[in-house]
Amino acid sequence: MTVDIASATLEQILANQKGLLAIGAGLAVGLAGIGSGIAEKDIGAAAVGAFTEKEELFGKGLIMTVIPETIVIFGFVIAIMMII
Amino acid sequence: MLKPKQMSRVLLVGHKDVLEQTIEVLHSLHGLHIEEYEDDGYFNIGKPLPGAEQDSKDLLKLRSISSFLGIGDPYHRPVDAKQLSSGLKEKLEALDSTVSEKLSRKSDIEANLKDVETKTHDITPFSGIPIDFDLCSGYDSLQVFSGVIKKGTDIETDLKKITSEYQLFVGNTGVILLFVPVRYGDDVSHLLSECEFAEVKIPEISGVPDILLSELESRHDLLTADLGLLSVEIDSIKSQDEEFILSSEELLAIETQKKEAPLFFATSEHAFVIDGWIPDDEFTLMKSRVSEATGDRVHIALREEAADEVAAEDTNIPIEYDNPKIVKPFEAVMNLYARPKYHEIDPTTFVFIAFPLFYGLILGDIGYALILLGISLYGRSKLHGEGWNSLFTVLIYCNISTLFFGILYGEFLGFPLAELHGHPGLIPGWHTVDLFTAMGDELVTFPIHRTHLVSTLLILTILIGVIHINIGLLAGFRNVLKQHGMREAVLEKVSWMVLQLGAFLLLFGMMGVIPSMLPGACVLILAIGMLIAGEGAVAIIELPSILSNTLSYSRLLAVGLSSIGIATAINTMSGMLVESGGLFIIGGVAVFILGHTINTALSVIAPGLHALRLQYVEFFTKFYEGGGRIYDPFGYNRVYTEE
Repeated sequence: MTVDIASATLEQILANQKGLLAIGAGLAVGLAGIGSGIAEKDIGAAAVGAFTEKEELFGKGLIMTVIPETIVIFGFVIAIMMII
Repeated sequence: MLKPKQMSRVLLVGHKDVLEQTIEVLHSLHGLHIEEYEDDGYFNIGKPLPGAEQDSKDLLKLRSISSFLGIGDPYHRPVDAKQLSSGLKEKLEALDSTVSEKLSRKSDIEANLKDVETKTHDITPFSGIPIDFDLCSGYDSLQVFSGVIKKGTDIETDLKKITSEYQLFVGNTGVILLFVPVRYGDDVSHLLSECEFAEVKIPEISGVPDILLSELESRHDLLTADLGLLSVEIDSIKSQDEEFILSSEELLAIETQKKEAPLFFATSEHAFVIDGWIPDDEFTLMKSRVSEATGDRVHIALREEAADEVAAEDTNIPIEYDNPKIVKPFEAVMNLYARPKYHEIDPTTFVFIAFPLFYGLILGDIGYALILLGISLYGRSKLHGEGWNSLFTVLIYCNISTLFFGILYGEFLGFPLAELHGHPGLIPGWHTVDLFTAMGDELVTFPIHRTHLVSTLLILTILIGVIHINIGLLAGFRNVLKQHGMREAVLEKVSWMVLQLGAFLLLFGMMGVIPSMLPGACVLILAIGMLIAGEGAVAIIELPSILSNTLSYSRLLAVGLSSIGIATAINTMSGMLVESGGLFIIGGVAVFILGHTINTALSVIAPGLHALRLQYVEFFTKFYEGGGRIYDPFGYNRVYTEE
């Protein structure tokens, strides 16, 4: 479907912009989530390995694993700021 | 409350004549954490008291009986220890002989069963062949082939081309038994190999397969019945002697523990020295009890001169939490990370406040709170043991907080309860009350609609983060002050607070709240200077962490919103199905129940982990090191016996 800019009403243009913002917000959260996931998978695997050997490392392992989670939180904050 | 129990190091020195009484008293006090003596050549490591070997043998015997009978259920009715110990030896001998007789019978039956099963396995391929196995071997002029060939092969036609002197039997399972004169052996063997012949070994048993199989089957039934009978007998021993086994195991464990205690002591020819840690408030009691029991023949001294040394060996002092009962369950959360060190602040109380608060702030839903409260109350009454108890108690605290925030947010299983300007609520006629306008023209109402108040809540959560992090920094200030002095404390911890102040001033400058950005920049540079002086140039790399740590608290909003999102999706889907009518109503109800079950499980994991992470990563890194030694006092927690 093509949109003829010249004949588009103001409402259509506004709706388009809103749609693009939504896509942008989605990308911000989604891509940041993928980034967190990639980082966490390696750390998580290593952490599980470590605390199978030594159970006391569970707490430290958990912390190390969730550190990259902040990335997706940043993505979320940006997404919120875009939508509002 | 914010400190672990204060400990003193004590030395007990006495004559060996009173060693036994001393051990007895110390054991019943259950308060002294004994430091193991390492042989330095001057003293010797003590020898166990007489009878230790016999007791540990008996204990071993008892434990093997207990594992054979499969005893493990907690049994709650303590037995009198004295009464138990009087007849223990005889009863144990009797029990041991009964159990070993059962054990040998059981292994006999099991061996027989195994034998029957192997034979059945070997013979089964030959079922349907009416030939005694004795007739299958031992010939000079005949060659015997037994095995399987490719399915559907007509071997007889080809066989007849070689010779007519043969005898062929085919069993029910397709196994063939073929007798041919030796002189045709090679030809037949060649023929068979073309038919993908695979040999099946003839069992070395005499008898006709079918008869043998039916005999084996009846033997198998007999043995199984026997085994069933035996397990009934074992169960009756188990139910009859369970109490005795559990209580005497405990009694013997205590005896062994007492008798082997001298292995930790330093001894000379006539004297013994016990070195250990005791909580300050128990010292006087221990002193008086030991003097009383030994007639003042043991010298007890506090090792106060070692105060400086004590500070140096911080990690060496055993740590016992000193928290009010209500905070205790959170010690499990602490142990998951690390026990505090002796001179550190014990943050259990902080966690007790912040963890349920964050959990509730994230979840905040009346429906889930009630479900999880129900589950955790039920779980706590059914599952015993320290770990379970702590887990469920923590969950109960968390969900009380969730209930509170649920009422504040007016949410029930993802549905808003009150109507908000055109968005219908679950309770008809309840309208939200407008309170005031906050960030970004958002209207704060009661109940709060989180989905319509995102930017305000975002700022609020970050403010919560700032407060939480600064409490951590204050605790860190106290820790460093105590260990390294004022200068380090200011440079390492206050600098971070100054940094935040600078960042805020700069932000206000940018927003125009204050006329210039200069003050902010100056404070910021001062803070960076302090940090570099305190922690070295590496601190520059650490600088952004304060920002990421603070922003990290926005998860208090984010995770909550995602939970609402899932719940709303479930509600919409089931609503659409129910509206379609007919059979779809069942589908709608199923989606509703299944979806909310999954979301309930997620409601434990997601808010729990995120609230925990905020403690561990954002909060603890500001002040907490951990790594203290567990306080393990000499004594025994009696469960099955009483003195």
